[in-house]
Amino acid sequence: MPSRNDLLIIRPFYILTSTFSFQMVSLLKLAKITEEGVRFMSPHDGTPMLLTPEHSISLQNTIGSDIIMQLDDVLVTTSPDHVRMREAMERSVRWLDRCIAAHKNPDTQNLFCIIQGGLDTEMRRECTREMVARNTPGIAIGGLSGGEAKSDFCRVVLTCTELLPELKPRYVMGIGYPEDLVVSVALGADMFDCVWPTRTARFGNAITKHGVLNIRNSKYANDFGPLEEGCECACCRTGEGAMGITRAFVHHNTAKETVSAHLLSIHNVWYQLNLMREVRNAIIADEYPAFLRQFFANLYPDKADYPEWAVEALRMVNIDLRSNNT
Amino acid sequence: MATPNSDKDMRIIFRTVNDFIANDGAVRLGRLSLPNRNPVDTPNYFGLTSRGAVPHMTPDNISKHTEIGGVYIAIEDFLEHSRKRAYPAIYNIDVPGKEPLHAYTATPSSMVTILGARRNPAVTAPSGNGRNYISIFTSTGFQRLDTENYHRAIENVRPDIAIPLADLTFNESKAYSNAKRQLRMVERTEDWLAAFFKLRDPEDTPRKTDHGAHIFGPLLPTDFQTQWEYINRLAQDYAEKLSGLAVYDVNILPDLAEYSSLTHLPRLSLDIMTSPHDILRQVQLGIDLFTIPFLNSTSDAGVALTFKFPPPPNPAASILPLGTDLWSVDHQTSLAPLAEGCECYACTRHHLAYMQHLLNAKEMLGWTLLQMHNHRVLSDFFAGIRGSLGRGYAAFEEDCARFARVYDTEIPKGTGTRPRARGYHFKSEGGESKINEAAWENYEAAGSGDPVVAAEMAGRAATGAKGEGKETPVVPEGGAEELDKKGFAEIDK
Ligand SMILES: [Zn+2]
Ligand SMILES: [Zn+2]
Repeated sequence: MPSRNDLLIIRPFYILTSTFSFQMVSLLKLAKITEEGVRFMSPHDGTPMLLTPEHSISLQNTIGSDIIMQLDDVLVTTSPDHVRMREAMERSVRWLDRCIAAHKNPDTQNLFCIIQGGLDTEMRRECTREMVARNTPGIAIGGLSGGEAKSDFCRVVLTCTELLPELKPRYVMGIGYPEDLVVSVALGADMFDCVWPTRTARFGNAITKHGVLNIRNSKYANDFGPLEEGCECACCRTGEGAMGITRAFVHHNTAKETVSAHLLSIHNVWYQLNLMREVRNAIIADEYPAFLRQFFANLYPDKADYPEWAVEALRMVNIDLRSNNT
Repeated sequence: MATPNSDKDMRIIFRTVNDFIANDGAVRLGRLSLPNRNPVDTPNYFGLTSRGAVPHMTPDNISKHTEIGGVYIAIEDFLEHSRKRAYPAIYNIDVPGKEPLHAYTATPSSMVTILGARRNPAVTAPSGNGRNYISIFTSTGFQRLDTENYHRAIENVRPDIAIPLADLTFNESKAYSNAKRQLRMVERTEDWLAAFFKLRDPEDTPRKTDHGAHIFGPLLPTDFQTQWEYINRLAQDYAEKLSGLAVYDVNILPDLAEYSSLTHLPRLSLDIMTSPHDILRQVQLGIDLFTIPFLNSTSDAGVALTFKFPPPPNPAASILPLGTDLWSVDHQTSLAPLAEGCECYACTRHHLAYMQHLLNAKEMLGWTLLQMHNHRVLSDFFAGIRGSLGRGYAAFEEDCARFARVYDTEIPKGTGTRPRARGYHFKSEGGESKINEAAWENYEAAGSGDPVVAAEMAGRAATGAKGEGKETPVVPEGGAEELDKKGFAEIDK
């Protein structure tokens, strides 16, 4: 019997769902979180709504997604309110228990917990121990990418991954910049999600291994090369049946026709997927430190310009980014 | 371009398969064949582009998921003023084995390109045309385009087919009713055409010579009395230089029957049409090739076309709608395809509920899927017309009559919000500000004030919200009502 989601969306890929996105926290200023659940005004018609952990799981059970996320109590990591942060962390643990109890398809749908605790490493450790004890099939690190310093972000990721079991996927939520991906992998993370590659495409940006190019810049008007030389995406690849998309054509239509956003999305998503493919290959070949050095060398011609947060984060896992061994 | 071939008249690109004399016009089944392009069976239609792109569709999707054999492209979409560039960028592209127009717009090489000076529909220029030039509307404002520059553009970008300049105002409600203005239009167009052919072929070489683009001579939006001398000249002096006709008012076609040197030419309609009923009427008058302006606007309105030709049996004798408004809450949980029996990509994989969800979420994918579907409906419609004509003109007439009885007269209006105003959504009056003005701010400012570009120029990778410039928004600035009021996708309002 196909679930409703099988009927609504043809799905050749895995689907991961959550019911309450972190981004909504800032958007829904009027959201009020109580032990019962999240109360908010419907963004569609303004009617008051209550989202409970049970309802969240019931929705995701109905949708039939492969990975479902617990409902968590989340606030921005930069919040100075320590008491509220502790309350959110402890409540997220209690809500996980309610989610597990409400989950109707544990054999077919994988419920992931979400570790909270802001930037307080002790609170994160405590949360991690509680979450791991509940033995969900996968573990997410939540509440990040909300404007905290990159060094704080790395410290939190490492704090959590050090306590996580080996054979469970570790998912850092809302992460997407290439530098953040490769560093997070070094810190022990396995999977990510982010709207950035497609959102930045709508801004006219092409991700390349030498950095992000804003194709809206007039210098691309007469640039008839591909978005990135050597890229194998549907826009850039050459040979029989190639689309032959040039930077000039994308420039011609950025902010004017949606086709440029489509083309940049195709390229950017391919870039990110290929980056992760290279990451996996480097790990299998046991050459990840060399891969990281090459990755940053491509982005910054001068080692002095390497971001300090990345250098320091990688030093925590004994990788010297500025070493000459490649 | 193919090399000149002494055995073959390079100018001839059209063969009729079957002629029917009816309604005072020559209705026919035909085939358009251009060197290196896939042949196109007619009657048929070409896609209308905005800035070289079929709206919402990437070139790979056009190849894979539509049956469009060619596209109409306006040169005004490429001639924006720039202090940084002496020549339009499109003049500089050089890809071996590809025409610059194909290469620059990434148009699949199997497809035919038709170049016109102005978009269809075009924005009315407040200042009108001059004695030697027409007004064109670029993303940097109105400009003048004369025959010499247009000729140079054609030589540079090398379209398969080009339509010479005509003194059109795209404001038929007012100007064309003025007899003096009409006469001036005919005179100017005739002068410009003479100058155009002189530039292309100063030696006036005999036929069978390849001069690059195939030329479709304009037939003007005025009555026969006003333009008969011009048409005489086309038939007598220029017939050998023409490969087709661009028809701005189909009502002239019955009078064309007299001109044997012109009747074998394929006829492209650039006349106004708002529904499939108009298309059928124009086929009956003898149009071979169409551009369908209502296709893009229907997709933008969130309406899926649902008509078929010949029309399906209709035992209930109810009036069938020409389209479905996808915004209607009736479809919220409907697992039905966009149109019953449609085999397009969208209909075979998705359904009304998902389409409505995409439109509500303002996901660009919604409009892409809708374009795939609506193009498929039009392709099937023309295949149906050809099939019906193949059974004889009487069968076709019968099907047309039944189509008129079975289907509603107008395509339903979409009730939701459209995608953000883009190239073809400009207001009709050029003097006023554009709907999507903001998007062009700092267009040529070389990234000044753009943190990404600034960082990039400093050789740094810039990521993150602060490093991002302006988005290509998919959400319209203002609701559908407001856009409607401002003249959304209309030439005159
Ligand atoms: Zn690419
Ligand atoms: Zn369809």
